[in-house]
Amino acid sequence: MSNNLQGSLQRDTSTIFMACLFIFVAVVFLWDTTHMLDSDSYVFPRAVAIAMIILSLTLIVWNLVKPRLAKGESLVEASTARRVALVAAMLVGCLAMPWLGFLIPGILTFFLLMFIAMYDQWTKKRKLLYPVIAGAIVLGFYTLFGNILQVPLPVGTLFE
Amino acid sequence: MKVKLKVLTIMMLVSIFSLTGSIVLADDYPSKSVNYVIPFGPGGESDITARHQQPYFKKLFGQDLIISYKPGGGGAVGWAQLNKMKGDGYNIMGINLPHIIIKPQEKAVGFTTDDITGVYMFHYTPDAIVVNNDSEFKTLDDLIAYAKENPGKVTFSGSGKGTANHIAQLRFDKLAGIKTTYVAFKGTGAAVTALLGKQVVAEWGYTSVGAKQAEKARMLAVAMDERHPEFPDVPTFKELGFELVSGAFRGIAVPKSTPEDIRMKLSDMIGEINADPEFRKRMESDGMALLDVDYKGYQAFIEEQSKVMLEAAREANIIK
Amino acid sequence: MPGIEYLFAALTPLNIMLALGGVIAGTVIGSLPGLTATMAVAVLVPITFSMEPTSALIMMGAIYTGAIYGGAYAAILLNTPGTPSAIATTFDGFPMAKKGQGDLAITVACIASVTGGLVGATFLLLLAPPLAEIALAFGPVEYFWLAIFGLTLISALSEGNLLKGLIGACFGLLLACVGIAEISADVRFIFGSQVLLGGIETVTALIGLYCIPVLIDLVATPDRHLKVDHKPRGFRFLEALAISWKAKFSLLRSSVIGTLVGILPGAGGSIAGLVAYTEARRTSKNSQNFGKGEPEGVLATESANNATVGGGFIPTLVLGIPGTPPDAVILGALLIQGIRTGPSLFTEKASIVFTFIYGLYLATFLMLPVGLVIGRYAYQTIITVPKALLVPTVAFMTMIGTYAIRNSISDVIIMIVLGVIGWILNRFGFSPSPIVLGLILGRIAEQGFVQAWTIGAATGELWKMFFGRPISLAIIAFILLSLFYPVIRSRFGKRTGEVPHVE
Repeated sequence: MSNNLQGSLQRDTSTIFMACLFIFVAVVFLWDTTHMLDSDSYVFPRAVAIAMIILSLTLIVWNLVKPRLAKGESLVEASTARRVALVAAMLVGCLAMPWLGFLIPGILTFFLLMFIAMYDQWTKKRKLLYPVIAGAIVLGFYTLFGNILQVPLPVGTLFE
Repeated sequence: MKVKLKVLTIMMLVSIFSLTGSIVLADDYPSKSVNYVIPFGPGGESDITARHQQPYFKKLFGQDLIISYKPGGGGAVGWAQLNKMKGDGYNIMGINLPHIIIKPQEKAVGFTTDDITGVYMFHYTPDAIVVNNDSEFKTLDDLIAYAKENPGKVTFSGSGKGTANHIAQLRFDKLAGIKTTYVAFKGTGAAVTALLGKQVVAEWGYTSVGAKQAEKARMLAVAMDERHPEFPDVPTFKELGFELVSGAFRGIAVPKSTPEDIRMKLSDMIGEINADPEFRKRMESDGMALLDVDYKGYQAFIEEQSKVMLEAAREANIIK
Repeated sequence: MPGIEYLFAALTPLNIMLALGGVIAGTVIGSLPGLTATMAVAVLVPITFSMEPTSALIMMGAIYTGAIYGGAYAAILLNTPGTPSAIATTFDGFPMAKKGQGDLAITVACIASVTGGLVGATFLLLLAPPLAEIALAFGPVEYFWLAIFGLTLISALSEGNLLKGLIGACFGLLLACVGIAEISADVRFIFGSQVLLGGIETVTALIGLYCIPVLIDLVATPDRHLKVDHKPRGFRFLEALAISWKAKFSLLRSSVIGTLVGILPGAGGSIAGLVAYTEARRTSKNSQNFGKGEPEGVLATESANNATVGGGFIPTLVLGIPGTPPDAVILGALLIQGIRTGPSLFTEKASIVFTFIYGLYLATFLMLPVGLVIGRYAYQTIITVPKALLVPTVAFMTMIGTYAIRNSISDVIIMIVLGVIGWILNRFGFSPSPIVLGLILGRIAEQGFVQAWTIGAATGELWKMFFGRPISLAIIAFILLSLFYPVIRSRFGKRTGEVPHVE
């Protein structure tokens, strides 16, 4: 996905690829409805899944018959590595929460994301200031949710 | 951590004096606020009844009862996590029948009926057939007679499938030898709206509907042993010759790891709230019926209810 | 004015304080993605036990009003509708913010919210008992058609590729079916995973599909989040007022739509904004600018969603049937206070009802200054905070906010995964809005369809059930109008320079 600048032809194949993916999803859903006993449960999703297959097929045919140039956005100047890192940091953070509780993964994720999103120089001032602000924000939200709004935030099985 | 240490020390001391450690531990309970999880969203009947208990818990035991919500999957999401919570008596969860009996039988939903350690069933909302005030059906017999002539044409709104309403409809159809159509709605509120809007002929609802909608709707019969104190004029199904006592039962459960003596203590405490005359009056004026199934009686109660409910659900093809 | 004697009962210093505090707290809570009005009100319930019923009601009403407005901030500044009612606010609000007009968008939203709130409260005051009948006239079929009407908005949202939009909507409709079905109670499409058991919660999906892609693109480049090429410009209140005045009919129509849809217990705020947006877009002279940063779009949704507050209270107070989810919580609190709702509430407990309604007016008026000031602050914060702090803060907010919706870590995982899916799909031309529309409307459509089918089959009038009821026919007419209006207008219309926006 890092190189989408090659004009119309590649765009069209990717659209066709996506349409196939949607057909696959619809088929998986259709297959799951075969386990259902009650017609109330399967009528609607089956109808939708079939519609999705028909629409996706139409999209494929449309693209084969009438290929055209789509406005593909350039990804060249953007950093894919940082994108992946952002998602990974968030996922790891929340996967760690059942074990470590909310606070520690929260702060760690916050720091990680801070490094991922940093484009400026780490000046001395920033080195001192940012961690303090980060701590304040995380603790602030933690208090707001945990104490004031009484949300039972995970404590973490390791600390019980 | 501190509390745990304290408890540990006390336990050690107690065992030195060769007493049962459990008595002291339970005597201390509750020494802080108790987290009460409702596996449904706010504003529903499970929430409202828990909110009714809240002030009495504080009044009788001096600690706060903090209500939080874990909705999803008709309660299944909450119950699937019940045993993962800390079993120290400070985490308790609301439970509902028939949900905890029917749901695990349908498909794997992350818990089984036996996974749930109920300590008390404190009330039930009896099933009732509700019609609009201006309905042509004055008595239950009118309705049955009409249904016999027009099989399938009597439509009942009700809250969801596999719920107390639905099971009651299935059982009553069999008892009365009629065939009616059950239209499942999302929750009691939507089912009542459909009734008041005359989208359906009648509703399989609860006595609480009769209490809340007293100006617009009336009940033909209630599924109780005796008439409800709030509705002395509404007959029971029993009086009319149908052996139907049913409803949505609500109780409180604890994680499996909760010690035996805490379970007992909690059971006694809920019983104490239930015995409070003011609490009883409040609940009854909302159309609820109080129930006293304590920790010791819980297992037998569930077994008895399971038999009836599962049979009805199986016949209706809700479960295999 | 009925019950005018209670106006002064509403204006006690205590009530003014409660309303002010409620609006401030509500606005702040509503601006945090994941914290919904329902939750804000639910947190307050235990506090109200020890209060006078009227004061409790005023405070809850104020929080509710503030929270619905607060949802606009995240929608405009972060492209994240914090509540379903703010979805359509993102359509034009975020493009405005991108262009450096975020401050104007917020002020426009504030004026619209106050207007909508006042219109809703006025209907509640004057016409509550007759209007409550609308809630009853809407049966399953009507909800089904209303959901389909909402889906027609896809043709407008899919930016020149209707097929992709429709496929996206189908995907959303399927996602709506995941989990335990609301009415048939069947376990569907969880593929053996406990994570999916609770289904895909709407707000979770909103945060994932709208906010995560913004974050993903935000970290990828050193560019600023929002364009800023100016000095601080104050509230831009007069400018916003002029825009509102120019679109006054659209504003009023949206407020009325919001009130009426708010009355429908099964639809609530999420649909009100969408319906109002569709109608505003259809009738506006600037319809080709909708979706690209048109203030009229913000005006329409924000007035409609605040009008649902008053509208939703109509069935709540008159019938004891909550119009919107926060109403359900307020109704519960009233029950615990020993207040029975019903038609006679307006006569027997007139003091409570009318004091509350005037309290709602009070809160709505207070929202103007409060909203402008907090909005200004929110805007300044978002544009001045360096990226290295903005990204982690927003990311952390989405995580804790999503968790708080149902106290579930599974939901946070679903949120992030949906965000990634949404980002990828968007790159291939499948925009997130049709998916979200499908997700929200899917539940309403499915329930309406299954119920109508069951009733129709039982009474042997299936055809008449779907096509024989007056309200249904009216909605079907609107569906056709909204689908073919661009064609009709381009063929017969006098206006020039219009581009039909169906493919």
